Amino acid sequence: MTGRERDMTEPPEYLSAHIQERVAAEAHELGIRVDVSGDVVRLRGEVVSEEQRREVEATARDAAGGREISNELHVVAVTEPDGEERLS
Amino acid sequence: MIHVAAAGDLHVGPETAGTYRAHLTGLAAHADVFLVAGDLTRHGTVEEGRVAAGELRDVGVPVVAVLGNHDYHSDAEDEIADVLRDAGVTVLEGDGTVLDCGGTRLGIAGGKGFGGGFEGRCASDFGEPEMKAFVGHTKDFAGRLRTALLDLDADMIVSLTHYAPAEGTLEGEPPEIYPFLGSYLLGEAIDASGADLAIHGHAHKGTEKGLTSGGVRVRNVALPVIQHAYALYRLDVPEGRVEGTAPRLGTITPNHIRSHT
Ligand SMILES: [Fe+2]
Ligand SMILES: [Fe+2]
Repeated sequence: MTGRERDMTEPPEYLSAHIQERVAAEAHELGIRVDVSGDVVRLRGEVVSEEQRREVEATARDAAGGREISNELHVVAVTEPDGEERLS
Repeated sequence: MIHVAAAGDLHVGPETAGTYRAHLTGLAAHADVFLVAGDLTRHGTVEEGRVAAGELRDVGVPVVAVLGNHDYHSDAEDEIADVLRDAGVTVLEGDGTVLDCGGTRLGIAGGKGFGGGFEGRCASDFGEPEMKAFVGHTKDFAGRLRTALLDLDADMIVSLTHYAPAEGTLEGEPPEIYPFLGSYLLGEAIDASGADLAIHGHAHKGTEKGLTSGGVRVRNVALPVIQHAYALYRLDVPEGRVEGTAPRLGTITPNHIRSHT
């Protein structure tokens, strides 16, 4: 390490972008909102399964450098449709 | 009249095998056809492709699908398409198909599509080769989509893509990423063909309903958007358009050769 390098904590904006990138690359979720404030990383958005919800959290945790993860991801409940839209 | 079921972004994997299919038991009672708007898998592996094929096999109606960006992630898109075809799914890649739905001919043309953005805020075919390749991929596809739509000899025409052909159905997504979600070039191709409906997926945080600039109805059927296993649309052949006989469109150039593909 040279004298010019500083041991500084990453600005939260960069960290949330990096976490988002990791979530996209490893958990393959592109639409997850990641907000870092202080020691908490907040995850918001929708995923299609409980497994996916856990995978996104695990990936984010891995990239979050020991910060606490607040997993506010919502699993979309898929049910049969209740109606038909008439287009004409 | 045609009843169309449509869904996109199933994102299935081995750990969820069979769960999506469980919601398709009522499909055949409500729909003539099932359109799948891409992102059938999560990582685009052949294994996930097999799971997707299992979910869509023998659901009681013809299934027509396109692939999405996730289905390309592991460079196995051709194998995934083959696995789906082996399960009886018609996979469109810039081409079209015509189905007989109780005497009404439903024409569907489509493919994955690509991004680039929308009028006024879009990438242009200029500069570095990487940028030209990005825009070129969309242009290329839009050209094939237009031809495929125009070539359909059918009473009702539906465009099926993964990427969005219009901005309206992206509402809810950050505007900064619109160029990665779709392209006006797709909308332009759809408008030129006078399609009756344009189905897409990909924009998980978008909105279900929109319109192309030319007024064609657009529906974003990504599962997180429709919040159901599929959406149902009823299409009525407009009065004056005689089912099973007359050429469908006034917008087609007279010398255009209509062929059934
Ligand atoms: Fe998706
Ligand atoms: Fe996608």
